[in-house]
Amino acid sequence: MSLDKDKLGELYGKVGAGNQTSLGIMGSNRDISVGEIFLIYSHRDGHERVFFFRVLGLENYLRQVDDLARVAGTLMVEGDAYLSGIERNMLLSVGGRMLGYAEDKDGKWDFHSPRRLPDHLASVYRPIPGTSDENVRNMLEGQIDGEVYVGDLQVGETTLDVPIRIPSKYLPMHVGIFGSTGAGKSNLMMVLIKSIIDNNLNAFRRPNQALPRISAFCIDPHDEFAKGVDKYGIQHVVEDMSPSTRSEVLGDFYYLTTHKRATTREIRKYAREIRILWSEIQPRDLYSIREFTPEMSSFIDAQYSVAKEDWISSIVNMAEDDAGVPVGTLRAVKRRLSFLERSPIFIEKGTSILSDIFYAMETGRILVVNTSLMSDMEQFLLTTIVTRTLSDMRRALKSSGNLSDFENQGQMRLPKPFFENVKKQARAFYGLGGVGDDTPVQDPRKLPVIQVTVEEAPSILNPELMRGQSVFKDISRQGRKFNIGLLVVSQQVSVLDNVILSQMNTEINLRLGNEREIRACVENASVNISGFEDEFRVMSRGEAIVTQSYRELPLPAKIPLFDDIYEKDRHRYKDKESKKKQEHIL
Amino acid sequence: MLDKILTENFRRTLKLVFTDIQNQQDRRDEQEFAKDEVRIKDRLLDTFISYSPDVILNNDFRIAAIDGSGSDSLMTLDDIRIHFISTSTVVVDTNTRSENLFSPIDRDRLEHELGEQPHIDLHWHSGVRNDARDKLAETLANIYPLKDVTSLTLPFFQDYTKGKISSFSDFSETEYEKHIPRLREMESLISREQLLTNPTVHEEIRKTSEYAAARKVLMSDINPKYLLLDGAMSVFMHFVRHFPSMPSGFMLRDLCALARQKEVVLCAVSKNHTIPFAHRIANLARDAFGGSAKWFCHLPSSEDPEGGLHIYDDRTYIPPILAVPYLYSFSRDNRPSRIDFDRIWWLENIFVPGDPEATRTNEKALFAELEFMSRDARWYGYPVPLALAHESCKLSYEDLRLAKEVCMDVRAEMNLERRDAQPLRADYDL
Repeated sequence: MSLDKDKLGELYGKVGAGNQTSLGIMGSNRDISVGEIFLIYSHRDGHERVFFFRVLGLENYLRQVDDLARVAGTLMVEGDAYLSGIERNMLLSVGGRMLGYAEDKDGKWDFHSPRRLPDHLASVYRPIPGTSDENVRNMLEGQIDGEVYVGDLQVGETTLDVPIRIPSKYLPMHVGIFGSTGAGKSNLMMVLIKSIIDNNLNAFRRPNQALPRISAFCIDPHDEFAKGVDKYGIQHVVEDMSPSTRSEVLGDFYYLTTHKRATTREIRKYAREIRILWSEIQPRDLYSIREFTPEMSSFIDAQYSVAKEDWISSIVNMAEDDAGVPVGTLRAVKRRLSFLERSPIFIEKGTSILSDIFYAMETGRILVVNTSLMSDMEQFLLTTIVTRTLSDMRRALKSSGNLSDFENQGQMRLPKPFFENVKKQARAFYGLGGVGDDTPVQDPRKLPVIQVTVEEAPSILNPELMRGQSVFKDISRQGRKFNIGLLVVSQQVSVLDNVILSQMNTEINLRLGNEREIRACVENASVNISGFEDEFRVMSRGEAIVTQSYRELPLPAKIPLFDDIYEKDRHRYKDKESKKKQEHIL
Repeated sequence: MLDKILTENFRRTLKLVFTDIQNQQDRRDEQEFAKDEVRIKDRLLDTFISYSPDVILNNDFRIAAIDGSGSDSLMTLDDIRIHFISTSTVVVDTNTRSENLFSPIDRDRLEHELGEQPHIDLHWHSGVRNDARDKLAETLANIYPLKDVTSLTLPFFQDYTKGKISSFSDFSETEYEKHIPRLREMESLISREQLLTNPTVHEEIRKTSEYAAARKVLMSDINPKYLLLDGAMSVFMHFVRHFPSMPSGFMLRDLCALARQKEVVLCAVSKNHTIPFAHRIANLARDAFGGSAKWFCHLPSSEDPEGGLHIYDDRTYIPPILAVPYLYSFSRDNRPSRIDFDRIWWLENIFVPGDPEATRTNEKALFAELEFMSRDARWYGYPVPLALAHESCKLSYEDLRLAKEVCMDVRAEMNLERRDAQPLRADYDL
């Protein structure tokens, strides 16, 4: 097959010096920007390949001029000086990195790491939106396909119609979103939520294709996902759906908040109040969010083994004489638990939302959790309880052969009142074609992927807490077994624990705040992006470099504004068939 | 060597040399220059009004320039040396209307008119008696487009005798009559055969190649207003026979005649001017017109009104025979350069007998145009077409190294004995 080179873009230049890692290109004097991607057509030894090259540095080059500074000085000082016929000698010397190459194998493009070099003086093409999109899409298919849309392939300051997606099967291998304030994290989260809804809607509409569903527990620290940052939010997506579709894709509610009455009327219809019973909290939930001395944790563990689910009430109400521990330890533990007594979320008695969260997550739904009125501790504890509960349920499932085993495992691992509450539903989800004790259980990997957001991640995914009994340590290492992944959102990379960083297989790197974070980001990226430091320095809001350990190519992405993609896609949420039916009735 | 150069002893030796120069040459020149100073300041040195950068000329014009380069030892095969000569012609257009000032004309058009650019010539000769002269004559005859040697020699005699000789029949009863047989063959035009060292041969071929390129320009449809050569318009004469001692001298005069006929201003620009006391003339100009002024200074000959300058009384090569040199500076940062014009053209177009003011007006117009073509920021003060021609033809060390490799390749292709093209000294790492 011979590629139509005109469809690669406009001919820009020729490959000069370089090696399989970095190349120098001599190109025409065009308005090139750092970050652009060029395509290099090579036909060496009968192999037709297209190399992908990313611009990392630019330098003006004037042929026949050895000392450019002197010429510039002369132009400045001698006001009447000119440069004869210089246009054709004005070139750009472009330096950058080889990203890899696509090679045609039996009519299908395979993408490879940069382990080869383009041919001598190979022609370099600059992709043009509207011309190069299809070719680039085809060549990068294995690098960009998936279920969760992140953004479009960015080639400099423009984008190609080449959507970048993350495969849902890699979500349990954890995703990191790193970016400083104003880098576009909230918009990205909204785009991801919409994308997950789109995926679930697709799965619902095409039941025969057995498409995987994705669940997401999305912390919204500024309460902006539902309403939107600008014009539209997730609420608009929800309202666009017909009641039946909405019920299937989003269930009865998608919005969790601390104070339902403070919510707008439209959203309130789909809102639930966050309430977690003390009995649903386990000691390690607390160990995961703040440090406890060995004495304190020994005392707590002892109380938990005695009082079981009532351990918090037991400690809070314990007289200092009865504790059997130094008064200082008891007081310290009480102080650490005191926020639970004041919290409107963590309640000693009442109705918990945890079982509803479990139900939602096991049925492939998204939950937007407004934590704007919570304290940091409350938010971290909520995230931890939800993560631990979901993972313990799946762990129980994974450890069982049939539903009877599962029930035993669940009773061992989870707080009794909670498990009793969800047991029936859980058997319905987890049983493979029945609910009887002998019914074999599902493989967790066949269940919806669950993505739990960890906002302000350094507060709980720091090395100090991760050294202890943090539930996140287990999830980061074993989440893939249970199909549960973390979506770690952080302004900083450098302060995150190495365990989580090394287990993270997808990073969406937005603009970062300082050199230290850029360095940490480059060092911890899942693919080699050394040399991209300059690019991080010039990134704009909404621009990202997506790195994935399971893919060779670091993908520059432009994350579209939620409002734009919503306006483009809103027609999809309408239920065309029911509308037709309605018209017929009329 | 550096240990010697950096010693006090070396500095002392240098001081002796400079003192010697000061005592012998500078003192004499100083005395001579004193006699010329007033004349230079008042009547030979002047400035001019330069063109505005955004000038739009009524008639945009073209300028052609030629430069050459080469090596006299592309390859050494025992006593045989292969010479490599590259010659480049560049034509630019003032282009004031399109604001793309002095842009070179399309290369395809240029090559269509003048052949491949830069043009390459090769030459070789051995140490066999007369071989240098025979082969040189053969090469020159091949290179220069005017093949009729009689026609080639005549323009010199026409100009040199001020028109007394305008055909071969006019030679009778002149001192040249006896030399007529020598003037019919290229080989016998080489009258310095005893001095045909490798550098001399190389220089002669290089000049001829440049003159051949100039002739092609003049005969083409390019029609430039100016044709610029690199160097001076010197013609080295045979002291006894009183005509050029080498064919290139005749070729230059042939070009001058042809340029006049085609109404092209032929001039030669020389950075290495050899004009004595040029720095003092530059100082005079700076004092008179200011540091940033652009100026020129006519260097008259003994035939001009008031005669030649005392400063080059004993320097017989200035002004060159049948040429009019000027010293000029278009840039405050550079030392002055020299430009030579064909004297016959100068007498017809610049000089106005008995009217120095009109002559000066013509000179000013001429230098205003020359200055306008010398403002490229890369080579400010030097005519841009010549600079471009130089860039195009120059043979770098790396070019020469590759050319030598190609030599060896070609010999291998031809199944010839393998011979190293690198200089012999390279065998000893010298």
